[in-house]
Amino acid sequence: MTERLADLHDDVGEILLDEATISAKVQELGSRISADYAGQRLTLVSVLKGSLPFMADLMRAIEIPVRIDLMEVSSYGGTATESSGLVRILKDLSTSIADEHVLIVEDIIDTGLTLNYLIRYLRGKAPATLRICTLLDKPARRLVEIPVDYRGFTIPDQFVVGYGLDYGELYRNLRYVGVLKPEVYTEVAVG
Amino acid sequence: MASFAHASEAEMSRILDFYAVRWEYEPHTFPILWNLEGDVVESFSPDFYLPDLDLYLELTTLRQKLVRKKNRKLRRLRELYPDLNIKLFYARDFRALMLKYGKLALFDGLSGTSGQVSQPALTAATPERAPDVDPVPAAASPATAGRSARSAARRPPVRSAGTRSSAT
Repeated sequence: MTERLADLHDDVGEILLDEATISAKVQELGSRISADYAGQRLTLVSVLKGSLPFMADLMRAIEIPVRIDLMEVSSYGGTATESSGLVRILKDLSTSIADEHVLIVEDIIDTGLTLNYLIRYLRGKAPATLRICTLLDKPARRLVEIPVDYRGFTIPDQFVVGYGLDYGELYRNLRYVGVLKPEVYTEVAVG
Repeated sequence: MASFAHASEAEMSRILDFYAVRWEYEPHTFPILWNLEGDVVESFSPDFYLPDLDLYLELTTLRQKLVRKKNRKLRRLRELYPDLNIKLFYARDFRALMLKYGKLALFDGLSGTSGQVSQPALTAATPERAPDVDPVPAAASPATAGRSARSAARRPPVRSAGTRSSAT
């Protein structure tokens, strides 16, 4: 089998959100968060790896002092014939969030399964408040209803990459969010 | 351990397990059609119930043009039980889920007729389940026989026997 070589830009069929559009929205979210949390101790918790670019831009769009922390959880990917176990915390918070106002920064919410797990986990650490900020929301895929406090864009039910979002760990470094051409993942699946 | 009628259901149970979402497999049967004598002639058993989310989940990996019957049953279910929180997962939704988890190559084996578990095992494990494609009228249970459609929404659903399982 010959492995298909990805093409960063050519594999994207349509640009859904360009760089300027994303940047303007991030600034808007940053302003809202700055106003809402003025005078409070805020910790941004980013979920690796997808939300990395969003976190980097959002924290710089916030005009109040914030602490940041990073988490990483394993993703489902077992085989059809055997159990793949339970979700694991690959990287936990490095500092306590007890009595802190915490804002989870996500790249995208689709099924809500990962976030539902994270919310339950973080609530166990007794933060003062726990809210959600996501750049992208794909409600058509939702299994678990999640109250979203800050939402960048509601997007259609398409497989998107870029600005942190990957397919096979690639395309995260695109400056925009685009729809991956179906032949990209179809070829991989068949090959 | 539940005996699943379809490979896609088994895969969904693994996904829910992975994210520590408790589930029950076909725990309730909802009558949706009665004859003039009041006997239940059609019912609906959603594949999963997620108790912590109070959500029913129905998977159908049939091709879109074949799901008309399922959609009709779901509409009827929602009319009769308006407070029921149920989501229908179509083949395209399940395919997207497999793509998200990097398992798209498995999709064909988990969908449509190729994903069905052999009938003898299904019959032995889930005696009350109606097939997805062409369901036969379900037998009326003592708990539901003689009820009118109008009163059904105010009455509890029938609990299926022998198919319950849960995660975590």
